[in-house]
Amino acid sequence: MLLSIEPDGPVPIYQQIRDRIVEAIARGRQPAGSALPPIRQLAVDLGINFHTVNKGYDLLRQEGLLRLGRKSGAVVRRDAGSGPPDPAWARDWTGRLQTLLAEAAAQGMPATGIVRECEAAMADFAFPDAAAEAWQGSGSPP
Amino acid sequence: MSAGSLAGVFPVLTIGALMCSMPAVTRPTVQFGIRVPRERAGAPVIRRERRAYYWRTAAIGACCTLVAVTTRDYGSWWLSKIILLLELAAGLSCFLVARRKIAAVKNADGWFAGLRQTVVADTSWRTDPPRFPVRWLVPALAVMAATAAVGALRYPGLPAYIVTGSGHRVPKSAVSVLVVAGQLYFTAVYSGLMLIVYRSRPDIDAADPAASTLRYRRFLAATTRALLTMAALADLGLLLIALPDWQVYRLSGIGRALPVLPFAAGVLLLGAVAARTGQGGSRLNGNVRGLALAAGTDRDDDQFWKAGLVYVNRDDPAIVVGARFGVGWTPNFGNPVAWLILAGTVAWWAGLAVIGAAAGM
Repeated sequence: MLLSIEPDGPVPIYQQIRDRIVEAIARGRQPAGSALPPIRQLAVDLGINFHTVNKGYDLLRQEGLLRLGRKSGAVVRRDAGSGPPDPAWARDWTGRLQTLLAEAAAQGMPATGIVRECEAAMADFAFPDAAAEAWQGSGSPP
Repeated sequence: MSAGSLAGVFPVLTIGALMCSMPAVTRPTVQFGIRVPRERAGAPVIRRERRAYYWRTAAIGACCTLVAVTTRDYGSWWLSKIILLLELAAGLSCFLVARRKIAAVKNADGWFAGLRQTVVADTSWRTDPPRFPVRWLVPALAVMAATAAVGALRYPGLPAYIVTGSGHRVPKSAVSVLVVAGQLYFTAVYSGLMLIVYRSRPDIDAADPAASTLRYRRFLAATTRALLTMAALADLGLLLIALPDWQVYRLSGIGRALPVLPFAAGVLLLGAVAARTGQGGSRLNGNVRGLALAAGTDRDDDQFWKAGLVYVNRDDPAIVVGARFGVGWTPNFGNPVAWLILAGTVAWWAGLAVIGAAAGM
């Protein structure tokens, strides 16, 4: 997996690390059981303080996506194929979705426009099943 | 030409050639220690400064070599050292002049304005790390074993004091200790430093991360093999220095320059590998289809490079990083561990110098 961050960008680096890893899991590039580099090594590779990586990994651990062990390092705990999400997590996600909708409404985006944007985003997003089929067609997964 | 004067001229010639060829092996997105976006790598100011640098350093190298050759039999051993120092200082000035001019244009025209600057890590570098080529240590270890065997055989029969190739009368133990410590230095220190490099980060091009990681893997493998071969050749050179002292054979005149040959072969080999691969594998071909996932521009990290050569970044936990000018690696002076390693290496050399001085060499 290629992990790309913008150190001087507006989003905090730990948040970028967390986001990129979530995306990789969602797209099937980091399936459940696959390893991520230990905190210190990823910090060396990105040239950043290891507390920053630690913070990003800790977010993923709290979300139940990552298991951190002293010996096993960082291992992806679940992916799209690991069954339905935890109810508490689903409630939290719905809450964040409400905020996102509120942002659009506050900026004056009409409901039809919001639905259209959502449909476009869904069509754009390669869900793991579709992605898996695409890889089988083109050879080895990236 | 005597062996001593040849040993004086050789470094002047080598350093001159290396200095002159540096920009050719450096990656195109770093020009004279200045980070530039890929699309600016062919900017007029860069082409002009590269050309000027080649001419200036070639002239400096030629002049210094000429002076070293003409004065080879005059003065003392320190004359060639002074020429070498002057040559290095002149080369550094050429580098700094080119650097200043490119930096001025870069800042005036805002080369990085509006570009998405990214840093990319390839997690497979850690989950599937490259393997250190342990087998390539065998030649160096074999030379060390041969040296130990010859030394052990000859040592009891030697007189208490021996006259070395340079004409000094020293205790026999000093010669033996210095040869073994020197071989240990080349073998252990080179392997140790390369092990640290294997744990460090690859130089990844943000515009082409997957292919540049693959190229870096090939570069690292080739450079490590060349360095371990260089260690074996350096050990062989030390053995050839020791053999006359251990009264195995005696050479006179130009024949006394024989130990220089392995060192020279090692330097040539390293130079050839560096010319082929380029810094971080930047001169190698290698494409990975359909993997331009993180298209961005390398981060403008000039602020962490003092004079474009010395890396100081306290927030970066790396001990070594890829060198900015030429081929190889350089310590992160913002990391205390790098200082410790540097101090250890200097202490080793100081220890050898003290032994040599105490023995009257």
